[in-house]
Amino acid sequence: MQTVLSSQLQEATHLLIENLVASEVFIHYQRAQAHLNADSEAHALLDQLSQAQADLRKKQVNGGINQAEIDALRELQQKVQCNPIIMDDAQSQQEAINFLREINDEISQLLGINFATFANHATC
Amino acid sequence: MNDFVFDDIEIAPPSVVKRTARDFAAALAETTQFKAFEQAADCFRQDQAAQQAMQAYEEKQISWRALLMLSALSAEQQAELDELHSAFVNRPVVAEYFKAQTEFAILCQTLGDALSESIGLNYAAACGVSCCG
Repeated sequence: MQTVLSSQLQEATHLLIENLVASEVFIHYQRAQAHLNADSEAHALLDQLSQAQADLRKKQVNGGINQAEIDALRELQQKVQCNPIIMDDAQSQQEAINFLREINDEISQLLGINFATFANHATC
Repeated sequence: MNDFVFDDIEIAPPSVVKRTARDFAAALAETTQFKAFEQAADCFRQDQAAQQAMQAYEEKQISWRALLMLSALSAEQQAELDELHSAFVNRPVVAEYFKAQTEFAILCQTLGDALSESIGLNYAAACGVSCCG
């Protein structure tokens, strides 16, 4: 079902989006994302870490993890934490999230309900 | 953040973004969906019978929580719980409240989707909302 928005609400939504995207934290986040997307080494590192974590979870279920595998995972985690492009992306994302929560508080305070809760699609 | 040059972009200061957020909330508060939701919530709050029906259902749920989690209610217990649930949700004021809540949520989801798509983050998830709200 298509929800029809009043012109006033359309305009207000458009302005909010325009200003959010033009805020310093979101500009930083977009640039960090662009740097990450352009860096194949950082991407490969993240893929390796994700694969190693998945493998270890599987082995954990079967009770077959050895120390060498744990050490290898720790080494990968260290490499990720030492990668400036990955860390800048993570940090800028957290800053964007923090700012978004402040924005949601502004909206929710005026409405008397948590706007994000109502905007959420997922149900248990 | 100092490593980045923003010369070519007009940055919106946080105070301006927050003001547009309040304008957005004011526009949302003017919608028929929000007004209907507020009115239905008010009627629900003031309806003593509906409040008692809700309380009776919730109290039974709490007292049988462990059995519910294990899906171990007897047929009689399940029937009693179903009856309490029906007595609650079938009250006109409650049905009206849930209908208004759903319609307002659909509107908020449309707006949340527009925000998420533009900012590259899931709005609700970023604001800490899980599947259980």
